[in-house]
Amino acid sequence: MLLSADKLTLGFGTSEPLLRDATLALAPGERLLVCGTTGSGKTTLMMALAGVVPQITPIARYEGTVALNGEDVATLHRDALFSRVGYVAQSAEDQLWDLSVEDIIAFPLENRATPRDEVRARVRYLMEDLGLIELAGRRVLTLSGGERRMVVLAAALASRPELLVLDEPTTGLDPAARERLCRALEQAAEHVSGVVIAEQDPAHLASVTQSLALIADGTLSAVTPLAPALDDAARWTRAGLLPPRKPSGLRPAVTPGRELLSVRGLRTRLARASGKPVLDGLDLTLRAGEVLGVIGRNGAGKTTLMKSVLGLMPVAAGEIVLDGQAAQGWTTARRARHIAYVPQSMRQILFHMTAAEEVAFARSMGEGHEDTETVLARYGLGGQGETNPFALSARQQGQLGLACAEASGAAIAIVDEPLLARDLAGRALLETFLERMTSQGRAVMLISHDLELVDDVATRLALVGEGHIPYDGPVGEGWQSRAFAALCWPAPYRTARESAA
Amino acid sequence: MSRLHDLNFFVKLGGAFALMIVAWLAPDWRWDIPFAALVLALLWVTRVPKLGGYLKGAGLLTLMVIVSWMINLLLQGIAPLDALAIAAKMAARLVATTALFYFVMETSTPGAILAACSAARLPAVATLVLSLLFGIIPMLRDEFERIADAQRARGMEIDDVSFLKKLRFALARGVPLLVQAIRTAHAISFSLTLYGFDLSRKRTTWRDVGLMVEPRMTWKDPIR
Repeated sequence: MLLSADKLTLGFGTSEPLLRDATLALAPGERLLVCGTTGSGKTTLMMALAGVVPQITPIARYEGTVALNGEDVATLHRDALFSRVGYVAQSAEDQLWDLSVEDIIAFPLENRATPRDEVRARVRYLMEDLGLIELAGRRVLTLSGGERRMVVLAAALASRPELLVLDEPTTGLDPAARERLCRALEQAAEHVSGVVIAEQDPAHLASVTQSLALIADGTLSAVTPLAPALDDAARWTRAGLLPPRKPSGLRPAVTPGRELLSVRGLRTRLARASGKPVLDGLDLTLRAGEVLGVIGRNGAGKTTLMKSVLGLMPVAAGEIVLDGQAAQGWTTARRARHIAYVPQSMRQILFHMTAAEEVAFARSMGEGHEDTETVLARYGLGGQGETNPFALSARQQGQLGLACAEASGAAIAIVDEPLLARDLAGRALLETFLERMTSQGRAVMLISHDLELVDDVATRLALVGEGHIPYDGPVGEGWQSRAFAALCWPAPYRTARESAA
Repeated sequence: MSRLHDLNFFVKLGGAFALMIVAWLAPDWRWDIPFAALVLALLWVTRVPKLGGYLKGAGLLTLMVIVSWMINLLLQGIAPLDALAIAAKMAARLVATTALFYFVMETSTPGAILAACSAARLPAVATLVLSLLFGIIPMLRDEFERIADAQRARGMEIDDVSFLKKLRFALARGVPLLVQAIRTAHAISFSLTLYGFDLSRKRTTWRDVGLMVEPRMTWKDPIR
């Protein structure tokens, strides 16, 4: 066996281990998908399979063995182990520091004294294969989340490992980047003997994986073929996951109310290498009761749009109207009293010592009145009021973001790639947030690459591309539009809809 | 990015050391102050990034050095004008020194430093220390600015307020900055281990390193 785990028990010192007696075997050439809810133990399992646990990150409870070609990963020399295993962490930031794209990809080769010509050849090969040529020379900390993930994947492939372990590699990737990822994994088969991937949504990687194991209630299921499992909705639901390829069918019909945000003729000072402004002549409105899904390629200008509206990025021309008042001259702080911002990584915007203080601060900045504990409890953080926000998990920080956005009373919330919406419990929290916002005459701008999520919850779709909004209208029609076709992305739930048709 | 960014790190570092020695060998304030002014002018002419922020810090440094030296020298019974001359000389030397190393820090990326060290076949430990020493400060400063943006985006009016409020809000950035600094240290340590960094093994580099350091890969002659 290429990789085997025998009665692996992993835990962090609490009475119950996170994962009990996990056993699996991966034959050469096999590609295994491991799915489970957030917090189910996927990441810890991936770290253990890659040898990161216990070699780099020891944990309180590590029992059983993980073997790579029969050798125990816990006792292999680190350098020997990590030249044979490529690993992409759930948070790509954990593997990055302030180097250029080429530096990060070349880093494992340079450290192992690979000759310069060979390093260059492999870096160029990987950058071409993964579509990273346009990022040459960029510092990785200036890249988007999806771009960073592709760079880390290239670094993992650089040393031609026998085993590749990827933890939620599609997070933050647009559909085109996901396809590039799948293509790269297919091509890597020349060198990489086995692949283990942890994901919440199996549909994205179904084309490059053959088998499946689910984690639920601290137990890893037996490995089964993936293809038939994709249509077994009950199995996914039992594991707390959204069944793949199944539209929720709950897309709400709304009658939009008054205009809360209007953007007219927006042109940014930020320009592309060609000199063309990132956004030029962009028009957009947001009305009470709407959930506006904003999609577009990585680098299309979605983040620039959000930052321009918030006043975090200088605008060359155009008009921004918030709640009927011209807001171009407003400071960011003044705009923020009308717009609550929930970024993908909440760590960026937390600065108080307790979760309750964060909510209280959000309320003090706006017009919210609700009791702090009530708001926290609504978003699954009951009893966590005195917890330091940085001690919360990434998932809980996302929940805190929703709680703060609601507590602020801001008329608009901008939610950027809500990762918590990828399992049943997280989706329910997001739907609670959307329902409360819209029912109170407020509105949400949801920026996401998760087209299925947008299809399920958005009431209107805006597509950002070529510096403006080439499509703005009903969600269902959006997937049929010429602007969407130009992206060459598969429409959400395409397989299910084609089957139904 | 200017050509100065591509200049070999050791050339810049050597130049900074040489000019620093000139500053410290100058006989008195009549030489030191014009020399410091010349160095600052050099930073301005070469468009070193974020010079305004540096000048604020340098102004504060000058004030603190002059005040502390004046008090010290006056207590020792030195005449006020003589004390001022000595204090001004010390302040000018410090400004010249910090400005020169600010120039090196701002125009050298950690990747370019890694490449220059690797090409010089320096021991891995020296490579790591130099990259972190000159790379971590700009990284944390950028993080400090990102956190300020986040505070603004949550409704904190941190620009159009009194100095004391500004100071209080800047202190509030300390918590996330500390968390980020720890995360950065963890990320560096994690990636060094995962990617096979070994203190006993000399690294290679993908870059072409000479007087100038290749800033990016080019595709003029694609390999495939």
